[in-house]
Amino acid sequence: MLGTDAFLSLARATSAKHGLPHMPVALVPHPLGGIPTDTARAKADAILDEVLRGLTSDPTPPATTAAARPTLVEAPEDLDAFQLWAMEQEWSDGLPVLPPTEARVAKILGRRAGEELASTLMPLDGRATLHAIAVNAALAGAGPEHLPVIIAAVRAVATPQFNLNAIQCTTHPCSPLVIVNGPIAARLGVAGGPNALGNGHRANAVIGRALRLVLQNVGGARPGREDRATLGHPGKFTYCLAENEAQSPWEPLHVERGFAREDSTVTVCGSEPPHNVNDHGSTTGETLMAALAGTAATTGSNNIYLAGDPLVILGPEHAQTLASSGWSKQDFQSRFWDAARVPMAKFSADNIARFKLTHPERFENAGPDTLLPFASKPEDVMVIVAGGPGKHSAIVPTFGATRSVTERIEA
Amino acid sequence: MKLWSPFSGGQAKIGRLAPRKPSLAGLTIGVLDNSKPNAGALLHRVAELLAARTGAAGVRGWSKPSAARPAEILDDIAKGADVVLTGSAD
Repeated sequence: MLGTDAFLSLARATSAKHGLPHMPVALVPHPLGGIPTDTARAKADAILDEVLRGLTSDPTPPATTAAARPTLVEAPEDLDAFQLWAMEQEWSDGLPVLPPTEARVAKILGRRAGEELASTLMPLDGRATLHAIAVNAALAGAGPEHLPVIIAAVRAVATPQFNLNAIQCTTHPCSPLVIVNGPIAARLGVAGGPNALGNGHRANAVIGRALRLVLQNVGGARPGREDRATLGHPGKFTYCLAENEAQSPWEPLHVERGFAREDSTVTVCGSEPPHNVNDHGSTTGETLMAALAGTAATTGSNNIYLAGDPLVILGPEHAQTLASSGWSKQDFQSRFWDAARVPMAKFSADNIARFKLTHPERFENAGPDTLLPFASKPEDVMVIVAGGPGKHSAIVPTFGATRSVTERIEA
Repeated sequence: MKLWSPFSGGQAKIGRLAPRKPSLAGLTIGVLDNSKPNAGALLHRVAELLAARTGAAGVRGWSKPSAARPAEILDDIAKGADVVLTGSAD
């Protein structure tokens, strides 16, 4: 395998995941992308001997290691010393964590079978047993009442269409956004109203954070190593909200996806941070569309060239404006899909050449006037209503090569 | 204090790599381009230089449409080449 030096940890994680940690890897200096082709080709000479050695001499495989079992470890009693220790052990996301003592983990787990496997998580193929999930929930500060939501989210991200390995390891700034629907949101206090994606809500904070810690500690996506995010985003601490079903003029997301209104679900999306849509002036759906579509249709969006199912979070007042124009959710999806387009001419010639190579089905016959949509079809545009009073909505683009997954929460 | 570790690694099964070839003379060198920018340029250049140095029979190229998805053409590549170079990086 050939790679660049900055990405060695990812190359190693990928080969180890396939049971081949001893696969020969030859490295050239980073970067390869965004440089002239001749400069990239010139990097070949320096690694020729190493590549030839990799193809002609058998490397020694390392010894087999046993599967991980739940392990008790000795940690400092003093809470400040414990925080430093937890960072050194790479247990934490940088914020203080609560100690996962035997008693706290047992309380969170309750009568569930700890050895039950919820899913396996990439890139490490880590075993997300209910016990491992409960330990990370304890670290995150969650209580037993939050565990069913966290377990459902851990199952959801492991569904193949979510493409977790790419979400965990990409340079793109994405992280699972957890959308909670149904009666459990009110029961747990998962906020869908004012500041729903901000601070001040324990359930939002600990559910999103527990999922993140599971992805880091069980999935094995360590920041700057297997997790190759160039910048990352603040939602990698926690990224969770409820849909504001009470103030939506339309049916909520889980009902749209075939669940009963009284079912509780989580939906996970491989999401960028929210991009705000400020519109205090528009009084009709037609006029509000300019701000919504304009915020979505940008040249730097993964969804423009990789498609996927990006999300529109409508503030309740904006949703009301759309509904007052007589629009159903489907009407909105269809009109938004028509409007949120980027003309091909807005992209650089370098990028157009690359798109034609990597996604010929979308770009081969596109000319400068071709309008590129934000998703492949109107129904791929996800829509929820959330937030409090005010004239703001948000566009939440995704990684693109990922699909959202909705999972029932088993209480 | 005693704490549960939050780690829960997968079962580390160590697989066997394909036996290496004593020499590349007369063999076909395959290249799997992962579609990252310039990956194909570097991989093909390495393959060309290797072929020239070792007397390999030739170079054959494959590509997958997106680095974000697993390749679906591995069987085809295994049939069409004796050794294969691929990449992982930006």
